[in-house]
Amino acid sequence: MSVITAEKPQGLDGPRAQKRKRALFDTMLGRAFLQAMAVAMLLVLWQVGVRLGIISDFLFGAPSGIYATFLRMAGSGELVADTGYTLFEAILGFVIGTIFGSIAGLALWYSIFVARLVEPFIVAINSVPKIALAPIIILWFGTGLVSKVALAVSLTAIVALIAAYQAAKDADTDLQALLISMGATKHQIFHKAVVPSTIPPIIATFRINIGFGLVGAVVGEFISSQHGLGHLIYTASSFYDLNTVWVGLFVLMLVGFVLYYVIDLIEHLLIPWKVATATHQVQV
Amino acid sequence: MASASASVQLSVRNVHKSFAGRGSAVRVLDGLSFDIHERDFVSIIGPSGCGKSTIFNIIAGLIEPDDGRLIYRGEDVASLRGRVGYMMQKDLLFPWRTVLGNVLLGLEMRGVAHRAAVARASEHLHAFGLSGFENAYPKTLSGGMRQRVALIRTLVMDPGILLLDEPFSALDYQTRLYLEGVLKQAVEKFHKTVVLVTHDIDEAVALSKRVVVLSGRPARVKAVHDIEIAEHSPIAARSDHRFAGYFRTLCGELDIQTEAEPSPAKQPEAAAS
Repeated sequence: MSVITAEKPQGLDGPRAQKRKRALFDTMLGRAFLQAMAVAMLLVLWQVGVRLGIISDFLFGAPSGIYATFLRMAGSGELVADTGYTLFEAILGFVIGTIFGSIAGLALWYSIFVARLVEPFIVAINSVPKIALAPIIILWFGTGLVSKVALAVSLTAIVALIAAYQAAKDADTDLQALLISMGATKHQIFHKAVVPSTIPPIIATFRINIGFGLVGAVVGEFISSQHGLGHLIYTASSFYDLNTVWVGLFVLMLVGFVLYYVIDLIEHLLIPWKVATATHQVQV
Repeated sequence: MASASASVQLSVRNVHKSFAGRGSAVRVLDGLSFDIHERDFVSIIGPSGCGKSTIFNIIAGLIEPDDGRLIYRGEDVASLRGRVGYMMQKDLLFPWRTVLGNVLLGLEMRGVAHRAAVARASEHLHAFGLSGFENAYPKTLSGGMRQRVALIRTLVMDPGILLLDEPFSALDYQTRLYLEGVLKQAVEKFHKTVVLVTHDIDEAVALSKRVVVLSGRPARVKAVHDIEIAEHSPIAARSDHRFAGYFRTLCGELDIQTEAEPSPAKQPEAAAS
């Protein structure tokens, strides 16, 4: 150590030490520790606030009550069942919406004429808040699972369609020109140059769309349902059972969180050529 | 010397092309004609924006000429689409394909059976010292290596003519010298015909058998110079006693002022593009 300080100017030692200190926490474990501490602090403050009477138990619930409710509901199996319903609706809606939307968006690449023809309709459909369709969708598809999936599809498909079409339009024209010079057909250009280059932007929409899938499922459950986390939250809140509401919300958060990382995993598997090189971000 | 007797492989005859500009059409090519011989190495030089890339795009079948003919080995053709190896300043490697996948691209277009294509691609990669990089993605390679992969991708298709549009101009000088050598060797080994667009007079003289000088827009052939340097390597060619003479002649053709005073009418070609 003394050798290093002898060679380097003295002034560098301060910021270096600071950097070393930051490096201690800037690891997977260090960050997880800090994040857990932040959550724990919030929960403790909340609980203490309720005990002291600063925070209303009736309007906000309390961490201890939430935990007790969670244990009871998890034990009885109803929480797992409700989570399963919502998760299934969201994922099914996401998958169907993404597949149909992406295929339709990519297909528009084939014909500029058709693309221009349908563009105003796409814009029009996109500008309607899809949530406003929920009552009609329930009328059409009933109060069961299908209506929730349909709502999730209506939210996700248009996002996927627009993203896929835009990505296909943005595909590098020089690469396509190269293929033409090699004698490629339009179909070859489509599946060798256009489709692969749209995969990263399409996967980027997965992150948005998985959230929309959950929105569709939960809103559908709010309006009319017998099961699901949306149903749980809605009914509990009408009874002022805030602890149950929080359980529903936290489970939804957890579900969204897990799905986000599942998509991360899918991204790593599908586009290794992109992920392999995009790990480093500029550090200031 | 050899050019007069060699047979014509590609003849560009009276090609016209204009593009819609603001208000009026911009004439880019106005009756451009030149011949490319079998196993020729022709460099095309000319001022920036004179339409060098346009004529390449016409030959490769990326755009259609307004008028004129292309005659390939005695036959009238619309373009040489599928028969040319086109290489540009950007390496245009497909980022989602590995080195091997990129080299296979042209063979896939032709419908060559996968196993045969892989065997041929691997052979070429080996010949160019890229064995072991088959499964690397382009982003992990240096600029020089990427351009080498692009060259292999072009050669593996065994094209009738290589169209090289400033292929080395984005590289540093050392890498460029090295790749010029690789190109020259490859062309001689595989008996290829090359048309090279470059803004680098030095490169044109060092590599070519002939240099075609184009005028500013609309492009016409201003002069054709035979380069009679026997040296094969681009580095040795640069030390040939005739090199400086050719260099100065071509600079004069392009109206690049050798004295300090730049002409206000015609700007010399900017180095960066």
